[in-house]
Amino acid sequence: MILLENVSKSYKNGVNALKNISLYIDEGEFVYIIGPTGSGKSTLIKLLDGEEIPDEGKVVVANTDVGSLKHKHVPLYRRNLGIVFQDYRLLPSLTVFENIAFAMECIGEDKLTIRRRVREVLELVSLEDKAKSFPNELSGGQQQRVTIGRAIANHPKVLIADEPTGNLDPEMSKEIMELLEKINEKEKTTIVMVTHDSTIVNNIKKRTIALEEGYIVADIKKGGYLKND
Amino acid sequence: MIKFFKSLPYHTKTALKSIARHLALTFSSASAVSVTLTLLMVFLVLAGNVSSFTYSIEDSLQIYATIEDTVSEEEISVLQSEIEAMDHVVNVTFSDKEQELENYIGNNEDEASQRLFEAYSGEGNPLKNAFIIEVDSGNNLEEVSAALQEREEILEAAYGGDSVIMLVRAMDGIRIAGGIFVIALSVLAIFLISNTIKSAIYSRNNEISIMRNVGATNGFIKMPFMIEGMVIGMIGAIVPILITLFGYSYLYNALNGVLLISMFKMQPVIPFAIYVSVALLATGMIVGMLGSFFAVNKYLRWKR
Repeated sequence: MILLENVSKSYKNGVNALKNISLYIDEGEFVYIIGPTGSGKSTLIKLLDGEEIPDEGKVVVANTDVGSLKHKHVPLYRRNLGIVFQDYRLLPSLTVFENIAFAMECIGEDKLTIRRRVREVLELVSLEDKAKSFPNELSGGQQQRVTIGRAIANHPKVLIADEPTGNLDPEMSKEIMELLEKINEKEKTTIVMVTHDSTIVNNIKKRTIALEEGYIVADIKKGGYLKND
Repeated sequence: MIKFFKSLPYHTKTALKSIARHLALTFSSASAVSVTLTLLMVFLVLAGNVSSFTYSIEDSLQIYATIEDTVSEEEISVLQSEIEAMDHVVNVTFSDKEQELENYIGNNEDEASQRLFEAYSGEGNPLKNAFIIEVDSGNNLEEVSAALQEREEILEAAYGGDSVIMLVRAMDGIRIAGGIFVIALSVLAIFLISNTIKSAIYSRNNEISIMRNVGATNGFIKMPFMIEGMVIGMIGAIVPILITLFGYSYLYNALNGVLLISMFKMQPVIPFAIYVSVALLATGMIVGMLGSFFAVNKYLRWKR
C-alpha cells in the first residue's frame, strides 16, 4: 500500500529532513511513527500526501508515484487518502455536516449518497447532535473528530493522522484512539499515525516505526515505545 | 463541459452561502467596488456628453454652395441628385434666391434695413440660388467643398475655411483626450476592484489550501470564488447604477437637456443612462470574476 524506496529529502535552508529511508506498509496495517521533534515525521507525512517532492528515491502510495505528480493532479491523488491534521484544518464557514460533505462534493458524489454517508460518519465519530454547529463552536476533541470524519468520508485507502491526539487531554485521546481502531477494523483502512504520545504507543500496541534525525532507527512489529531514548 | 454546467448550480449555491456567511467582508468589498464604479460613472457620463457636444457642433458645419444664374431649374434638380450621390455627402438642401433673401432679411433686426432689403426681392434679387450641403464628418468638409468647386455650375463652395478645419481638429482632439481619459480610468477601476477582491480572498487563502488537502481540484476551488467575485461586483454596481439612472435624468430635466447653450445638447436619458448602467454592471461583474480568478490562482500556487 505504501512503499518508500531510498527516499531522501532536504529543504532549501539546508536541513536534511529524511536520509535514505526505505519502508513498506501493507494494506490494512495500523502503524505508529514516533520520534522527537525534528526527526522528520512531518516531512514523511508531507511526502505521503504529495505536499513535498522527494529529492531522491520513490514514494508510492496506492499504486501512485507521489513524487512525480503534477500540481493539478495532486488533489485527485489525495482522494485516495484521508488526512487528519493536528490543527484540524476545518473550513470555518461551513458547518460540521457541510465540512464532511465537502470532501465528498469535491469528488462529485450525488446528494443522496453524500447525505447518507455523512450521517453514517457522524454516527461513527459520535457527533450526530453537532451536525449544524460551526467548527468554532466545538471543543478541540470534537473538532478533531470532525476532521477524522471528513478524512474517512470517501472510504480512503490510507488514513494519515498527524498527531491526532496532540492537543487533547488523555481522556479525549483515548476516545480518538478507539475511533481510529474502529475505523481500521471496520473499514479496513490502512492507518499511519504520527505521534509522540508514549502512553498511547505503550498501551495500544501496534507496529511502531521510530525516526531520529532523518533515519529509521527502529521498526518494531510488536510495538511499544523505545526504552533507550 | 457537461460536467461544468451540471456543477454550476452547486457552485452558485456555495458562492451565495459563502457571501451570506462572510456578510461583513462582502459588504466592505462591494462598497469599495461601488466607490470605484461611481467614479468611473461620472467620467463616462462626462465623456459621453462632451463627445456628443463635439458631434453636434460638427453636425452644424455645412457647405454653402452658390449656383451660377445660367443653370436652369431642371439642371438644378439633376445637379442636386448628382451632389447627393457624392462621397461623404449626407444631405443636400436647395434654397432659391427668394428664400436666401428672406433668410438674409430675417438676420437683420431693425425694421429699416429689413424694409430696405425687401426692395431687392423679385427680378432684381442679387443673391444666388444655393445648395446647403451636410457632410458626414467635419474632416471631409475640405474635400467635398473642393470637389464642388470644380463643377462649372457651382459659383462658389464655402465652408468657413481654415478656422472651421481647426475647430474640427479641436473637436477630434477633445474626443480622443476624453477617450484616453476614460480608458485610463477604466484601467484604474479594474485595478482597484481586482485588488479589493484579492484582499477579500487573501483572508481566506487558508480555506483554499484546506480544499486542496481534502481533494478538491483547482477548478472546483475556483468556481465558487469566481461566482462570488461576480456577485460582489454586481452588488457593488447597484448604487452607481441607481445614481446614473435617477441622477442623470434629474440633471437632464433640470437643465432642459442642454448645458449652458443650446449647442451643447446633453445625451438623452434613454438610451444613454442605460448604456452607462450596462457598462458599469459589466465592468463590476467581469472584473470581479477575473479578479477572484487571478487571486485564487495565485494562492493555489502557494501550496502543492
